[in-house]
Order: sequence, then structure tokens, then C-alpha cells
Amino acid sequence: MIKIALSFFCLLSFSLAYPQKTKKENRIIIHFENRANGKKIVLNDSIYSTIFDEKYAVHKLKYYVSDIHFITQKKEKVIKEVFLIDAAKDNTINLLMPEENIAGIQFLLGVDSLLNCSGAQEGALDPLNDMYWTWNSGYVMFKMEGTSNSSPADKQRIEQHIGGYKGAFKTMRMVKLFCIKNKEITIVMNLDKYWDGINKIKIAEMPVIAAIGEEAKKIADNFAGMFCVAD
Amino acid sequence: MKLKVLFSFFLFIVAALIITGAEKAMYNPTPVLFKIPYGFPKPATNIFANNSLTEEGFQLGKKLFYDGKLSKDGEVSCGSCHQPFAAFSTYDHDLSHGINNNFSTRNAQALINLAWMKEWHWDGGINNIEMQPLAPLTAANEMGETLDNVMLKIKADSVYRRMFRNAFGNANITSSQMLKALAQFTGSLVSANSKYDKVKRGEASFILPEQKGYEIFKALCNSCHAEPLFTDNSYRNNGITLNRFDDIGRQKITGNKSDSLKFKVPTLRNISLTLPYMHDGRFAYLDKVIDHYTNIDTTIKNLDTQLRKKIILSNIERQQLLLFLRTLTDTAFTKNKRFLP
Repeated sequence: MIKIALSFFCLLSFSLAYPQKTKKENRIIIHFENRANGKKIVLNDSIYSTIFDEKYAVHKLKYYVSDIHFITQKKEKVIKEVFLIDAAKDNTINLLMPEENIAGIQFLLGVDSLLNCSGAQEGALDPLNDMYWTWNSGYVMFKMEGTSNSSPADKQRIEQHIGGYKGAFKTMRMVKLFCIKNKEITIVMNLDKYWDGINKIKIAEMPVIAAIGEEAKKIADNFAGMFCVAD
Repeated sequence: MKLKVLFSFFLFIVAALIITGAEKAMYNPTPVLFKIPYGFPKPATNIFANNSLTEEGFQLGKKLFYDGKLSKDGEVSCGSCHQPFAAFSTYDHDLSHGINNNFSTRNAQALINLAWMKEWHWDGGINNIEMQPLAPLTAANEMGETLDNVMLKIKADSVYRRMFRNAFGNANITSSQMLKALAQFTGSLVSANSKYDKVKRGEASFILPEQKGYEIFKALCNSCHAEPLFTDNSYRNNGITLNRFDDIGRQKITGNKSDSLKFKVPTLRNISLTLPYMHDGRFAYLDKVIDHYTNIDTTIKNLDTQLRKKIILSNIERQQLLLFLRTLTDTAFTKNKRFLP
């Protein structure tokens, strides 16, 4: 008897707490795909080459995507969530979308200055993700590590930790993409443009960047050109 | 039959109420009021705004602070280099010892009135007090540990599990909780009970040489070591030469050449306990510091404008100034049981 009463009560409270959704949510699925030389990047495996024909392999590739805006006719919808894209993982995000058609999508590559100063945080911004500078507070916006025969650094390493959120040396960059036709899209990050953008970068000249400054800024100025929507 | 159903329903409600009540009782941290001492300004930023100061959080922070387990070899705690009796600096060491007999490359700063700062470390590289522990925890020549390992060790410890639950209310221990707890402890290290403070509050009076020393201090030192915190928290080039570690100070943080060899103006509170002095502990005694300001090379590029005029004191004035500086020693702070392990 008690059992029946209990289960009845449970059912009742359950149905009250979770009212049935009658309206279907309008969602968009975004896959981030990291490519180099036209192929999907495979960590610790394939060899790619830059425009200067410098050969390199990628061991680690991570970057922040935040402040996602949907560009529409009326007003913009902002997603206040930070995503850490990691080439070692599947990078699919599923977002609630505005009702009307969207013309484009805009996001910040990196995290804004407020989040860089907000102390201990969780989720994507947890320092456990190894994207936080301990000696000069702030997040690494884009991190790439690998090796290259062209690198004069120790162990021929490439270590690109691009960070800095203040003044002239800030490295977060706005990325704007148009022609969003489907509700499932793939945003391609083309690493070729990392070396071959507004600034031309030679591995031999700057294999290691691990602090704020002119070099990091040069790379950051290439960020916006690295992204496009796949056909 | 109907009665039975009603009765069982009633029983269920009572049980549910008891369970939620018990859960609430389990997580009920005691708030702690952060008092601003007499004569102190309101801190520019409230470090506890997103980190409510509680007794449970403070006690957890204190346990973490004195726990060698946080280091790679289990021997070096925060308190190893920030010793209470030295006003939370390393007593009589120019540089501190990390794991495997490593040396740090800077003098361990005293942890005094951190809640009034906006940036921490000699070069101001830390922009939020909660993030500071990551630097010594992960530096190879200090505690040499990875954040992942620290979290694993803490999670495996039942005492920590209980303390984290009591302080933060859920069973899932996060790095953010650990950092916030440490900030609750270090941010609470307030020193405001020296003889100087007692004089200001009308509870004591300076003897004549101390009074004379205070006047010298106000004329020559106060522009950087501003009362009542005895620092203006600015970064200045005070004419000390580049050391063997090529430590350029603030420039490393900002990337600006004009910040070359600038370091944070340290507080003079408890200065008699925080020897040796400067960012690399190059001056063993306060006398040597005064010598430095007397013999300063005024042609140094970037030298702070306040120091372009040499500080020249007679022997008596020097002793008077030193006597005044001793009135900044706060043993109620260094011996405060609340801060001791």
C-alpha cells in the first residue's frame, strides 16, 4: 500500500517538476574542425608544411571560443559561454538559436579581459585545462605545440602559447563568418593561415612564443583569417 | 483504506522534510566579517566579493597553506617560505628553498595586508589573489607539482573531503574551491596592531627618538611607502642593478621597456622581521638599504624621480629612522594563533 502511495507521489512530483515541452527548440550544431594542408589535423602523426616549406608535426592544439553572437536582421543573440576547442577531442557544440534566419556568426577567439581577471573559475576556464599562465595571470588564447626540423629551439620544438589580454598586446580576436545555411555547420580552423596570414611567420624565426609581446600579437593578427564555414 | 493512503502520504512528506533539513544542517558555513582596521582605507577591490569569507573556508585555506602534501616531494608547503614568525616571509634567506634543494630566484614576500592590493608578486604579475598559489605550486624550483596531482592528493584525503564539503557544500572538490580557500586564508592576514597603530589609536605614544624617526620617514620615505599600508603598491626602479638572473621585473609582465627593473614597493610593516631586503634579498640589513639610498647612482636611466635626490642622514637621524621602523613590528600579528598551523 505504502509503495503505491509513494510511487503515485513520485509520479505526481515528477510531472510537476518537468512540464512537457510543447515547443520545439531551435538549435544549431557547430562542429569545429582543425585542418592543415587541406586535411583534418591528426595529432602526433602527419607532417604538414608551411608556405615557406617548413615541415612540422602538431602534438597539441587548443584554443578558446567565447562570446558567440548570432547575427540576424533584428538583434543579436549572445551566448555567454566559453568553449575550449581541443584537437584531441570531439569539438561539437549545440546552441540555442534565435527564431529568425541568421546571416552569420561571430565569436571571440580567446577570452575577454574580464574573464582573464575573474580569479578561480571552473569548466573551460579551470586552470586544470593547462591554458592559464601562472606567472603572468591570464589565459593562453591559442596553444599549439609540435616539432619541426626548421626549429632551432631545444628538441626542435614548436611551442606557441599565444596570450595577453591588455592594451597593445592583447591577443583575443573577433572572428565573423557569414553564409550560415544549415542548422548543422562545420567551422574550419585552417592552420595554414596561422603561418600565412596578414603576417608571414617562419618557424625558424619564432619557434617558441610563451609570453606577451610583439611576436604573440603578430600571430593574433592572423587569427581572424584562419576560420571559415565549410561548404 | 483511504486513511492508510493519506497516512503514508503524510509520512512521506515528513521524511522528505527531515532529509532536506539534515542536508541543510550539514552545509551551514559560518560567515566571517572582514574588518577594516582603524585608519585603513577601504580596499580598492573586494577580494571576497566572489568568495564569501567563512570560518570553514578560512580553516580549509589554513590547512592547505601549511600542508607539504601540495608539493611534489611532500616537504614544501606555502608556509615553508612564508613563515609566520617572519611576518610570512622567509626569515634570513635571500632566496627560498624549493623541492630538491632548488633555490627560488626571488626573495619570498611577506604576506601582509594582501587584501589592499590589486596585483601581487614583486612584478605584479598576478591579477587576482585566487590565482597566486598556481605560481609557487607549479614552479619547478618551488613546489614543483602539477595542479592535476595536487587535486588527486586532496581528493584522496578524507579530512580534506570533509573540510571541502563543510566549506563549499558539495562533494565534488574543484581547483577553484582550493584556490578560493587559500585566498580566504592569505587575504585574512591583516597586520594593524603595531606600536605605530597603537599610537595612531591613542593607546600608546612614541618615545622621542621614534617620533623624530617618524618625522624623517614622513619627509623622505612616505611618498612611496605611503601610510597606513606603508606602500602605495606602485612599481618603481629604485636604482638596484640587474642581478645574475637577469631579472628585469615589471617589464617581463607588461612588455614595456619603460618598466625595466621596476619592482613593487614593499610594505614596511614588520620590516624588522622580513630581512633580507629587495626582490633578491641582496641587502642583509636595513642599514644596507639606507646605505643604498644614500649612495644611489642618480644617473641610472629609468631611476624613479623620487630617488633622484639622495637620502642623506646623519648617524643620529639614521638611528632615529630605524627606531621608528621598529614600531611597525606587529607581534600580535606574527603570534596570532588564528594564523598559526
